[in-house]
Amino acid sequence: MNLQFLVDGVLSGSMVGLGAIGITLTYSILRFSNFAHGDFMAWGTYATLTLVGVIGATFGATAPLGPLSFGWPLIVAGLAGMVLTGLMALALDAVLFARLRARGQSIIVVMASFGASMALRSLLEFTFTSRPTYFSRSIQMAMPVGWGIRITPDQIVLLGMTVVLVTAMHLFMTRSRTGREMQAYSQNAALARVVGIDVARVVRATWLLGGALACAAGIMVGVIVQIRPLMGLDLLLPMFAAAILGGIGSVPGAVLGGLIIGLSEAGAVQLIGAEWRQAVAFVILMAVLLVRPNGIFGVRER
Amino acid sequence: MTGPILQVDALVAGYEPGLSIVRGATMQANAAEIVVILGPNGAGKSSLIKAIAGLVPVTSGSVALDGQEITQVPAHQMVRRGLAFVPQTDNVFPLMSVQDNLRVSAGVLARAEIAGRIDEMFQMFPDLARQRRLPAGSLSGGQRQMLAAARALIVRPRVLMLDEPSAGLSPKFVEMVFAQLAEMRRAGLTIVLVEQNARAALAIGDRAYVLVEGRVAHEGPAASLWHDPIIAELYLGQRKEGAR
Repeated sequence: MNLQFLVDGVLSGSMVGLGAIGITLTYSILRFSNFAHGDFMAWGTYATLTLVGVIGATFGATAPLGPLSFGWPLIVAGLAGMVLTGLMALALDAVLFARLRARGQSIIVVMASFGASMALRSLLEFTFTSRPTYFSRSIQMAMPVGWGIRITPDQIVLLGMTVVLVTAMHLFMTRSRTGREMQAYSQNAALARVVGIDVARVVRATWLLGGALACAAGIMVGVIVQIRPLMGLDLLLPMFAAAILGGIGSVPGAVLGGLIIGLSEAGAVQLIGAEWRQAVAFVILMAVLLVRPNGIFGVRER
Repeated sequence: MTGPILQVDALVAGYEPGLSIVRGATMQANAAEIVVILGPNGAGKSSLIKAIAGLVPVTSGSVALDGQEITQVPAHQMVRRGLAFVPQTDNVFPLMSVQDNLRVSAGVLARAEIAGRIDEMFQMFPDLARQRRLPAGSLSGGQRQMLAAARALIVRPRVLMLDEPSAGLSPKFVEMVFAQLAEMRRAGLTIVLVEQNARAALAIGDRAYVLVEGRVAHEGPAASLWHDPIIAELYLGQRKEGAR
């Protein structure tokens, strides 16, 4: 049996898990399913691609870093892209979601997110066309690491980036004042106001972090697979599945959910056939929810 | 300080426009006194203190704390002004540890002060200190009320408002909660207490208001109110016999 599916599964699971963090935060804090989250991912990736182009035009061609397919411009552009995507999410909230949330009907906000999703995607297709593009067209050789597993330097670095981002996010949520306030608000919104938590600050942090992590997930897809306007939409269902599987509101849960989805899809490709990959992932999702209806780290509502 | 700490004048408030629950309530609380708010179910007692806390929209009237108008101050800024509120239910963050419940509630204090203040709360409520790492949702009803009170007290409020702190507690715990409130009053805290358990509340209260249909129908010293036959018949009804 070829164990390569483990690497493939962990990689796609990391992309899904990073994206699912934003979905789980939006759902638990702002109390709605944001169907535009996948498009934040695509917008972040295109913003990063554009910034890489701007850096290239300003500073000329740069050499890749060591064995990687990309150089420092992608790192700088990626960080700036994460900030921009967070700000874009914040702006979308200000012009659209916040006004609808104030009316108190979450189904209207969900439908608005569908609309925003389509508008954001169409704008990308209009601006960049729907043809796939890449951060780098250079081909990387995968290195054998034993047991028949091969991995590229890009993949190693991106997995490292995922570990760093998820650890930082977990520490932020549990150790920082804003993180604790976000948790408190998701558990009891009325009491959060009573104890002096500024709701506007919590909402801002939720959009900024969710947007930034969506961008990071998108960059990962862009480096490993390709960049397309539909890239976020393709990952939307797996991201929701990961958030639900891990337990709504849980950052480690979203990442673990992503890894389970990624690994089960990759395992299905190897063991059953590529056409069954999504079916297997969702059978696992349903099986876990039958045993733990609130997800792996979820807690039953009182 | 000569005037009342909390002054509520002709307050009208309700969740829906045109559907007032509090209909012109006037009350006050002086420094270091326990003011009890009584009344039949649906009289608007909880809504009154929630309106004071900024949680129910106020349509007219005014609330002043220490002479400063706070009527339209957003709920999350009330703690900074010195007004703390303990809701009747859902008054802790269930998935956070006891310690984190206190920490997240101490956000208005200076950063260097928070750890010391948490320790002071654990000294005041030793039961909580033993459970500091447990999620608040796993505490018993009485311990939860203690945590809710500690959560409110951690910011050293000038006025503490509690909505039926004895609800659902065993008689032993009720006694403990009320003894603790009396102790806090002795330490100089002003307490506004909404209670169904009229006898226990009046026993520790200084003054009381009886609210009927959103208005103050009667007010007076707590000690004499329990013996007032009209009040007992009209507003406390059979509760007088059944209380405790």
